[in-house]
Amino acid sequence: MDLLPIGAPALPLDEAGKYVAGAYVVFLLLLLVYVAIMAAKLQRMERELRELAGFAENRASGEAAAGSDREEVSADV
Amino acid sequence: MYGKGLKPLSIATVAAIAVAFSLVFFYAPLDADQGFIQKIFYLHVPLAITALVGFVIGGVFAILHLRGGDRRWDAYSYVSIHMSVIFGVAVLITGAIWAKASWGHWWVWDEPTLVSFLIVFLMYATYYPFRYAIEDRDRQARYASVFAIVAGAFVPLNFMAVRLAQSLVHPRVFATANGGLPGSMMLTFLVCLAAIALLWVTLVKLELTAKSASGQLKRLRRALDAPAGGGGPRIAPEVS
Repeated sequence: MDLLPIGAPALPLDEAGKYVAGAYVVFLLLLLVYVAIMAAKLQRMERELRELAGFAENRASGEAAAGSDREEVSADV
Repeated sequence: MYGKGLKPLSIATVAAIAVAFSLVFFYAPLDADQGFIQKIFYLHVPLAITALVGFVIGGVFAILHLRGGDRRWDAYSYVSIHMSVIFGVAVLITGAIWAKASWGHWWVWDEPTLVSFLIVFLMYATYYPFRYAIEDRDRQARYASVFAIVAGAFVPLNFMAVRLAQSLVHPRVFATANGGLPGSMMLTFLVCLAAIALLWVTLVKLELTAKSASGQLKRLRRALDAPAGGGGPRIAPEVS
């Protein structure tokens, strides 16, 4: 382990700055990627929900139409 | 249900992180030994502590699941572990950057602290394939809970073993005979730890809310007899 600079003087500010910035940027980037993934999931759910709402409305209007047809048939009989 | 209180929690998290990072760069003094590079400590160590505690919390939720059989605890356990694995990635990357800056190497294989964290991380990385290799949902939840308990118990044991081991280069800062952090550094560290812990809680809640919404959507689709879209194997436990 003699390669490790234990007790070596601290890095000068300009050199240390890029490492510190790197660490904090990596953290923020990870957070951003996570939020982006969650946003994509949310969009997909919203699309599915819209699709299901449309399907439910179509079915409800179809059932209503079928109900009025049945009423007309029974009235004829 | 899970989304309740998410908005104030998110605002509190953003505020806490802003305060914590302001303290790091404008209040905490420069370290006499490491200089500016020591600022990574305020990010790296809270992330590591939160990730390790998150793994243990995942184990506690797994115990609750096995005791009561409530699937909700399994989802909590899964999300806790999932979030801690993500935090673990951040720990490994920020740690490697710090190691490169202060030791001149991205990784040191004979340092117990680094290698033990990597072992814990890799162990939890196997949680996903282990979980989804089982198709039956009940068995999947049960076996995953057993895994989470055993692995969760390993985390503090591993931590103690590393603490007792002779460190080569990794510093021991807390509760050491050689002195700890000075007051201003300790305060900054504690605020950072609280902010990162709050971030973990917020993200866990967000993930649970998303999973709950997704589960409700699937129930709605089934109820409406819609053609099954994406009927492949699920990749996460359903929360309803």
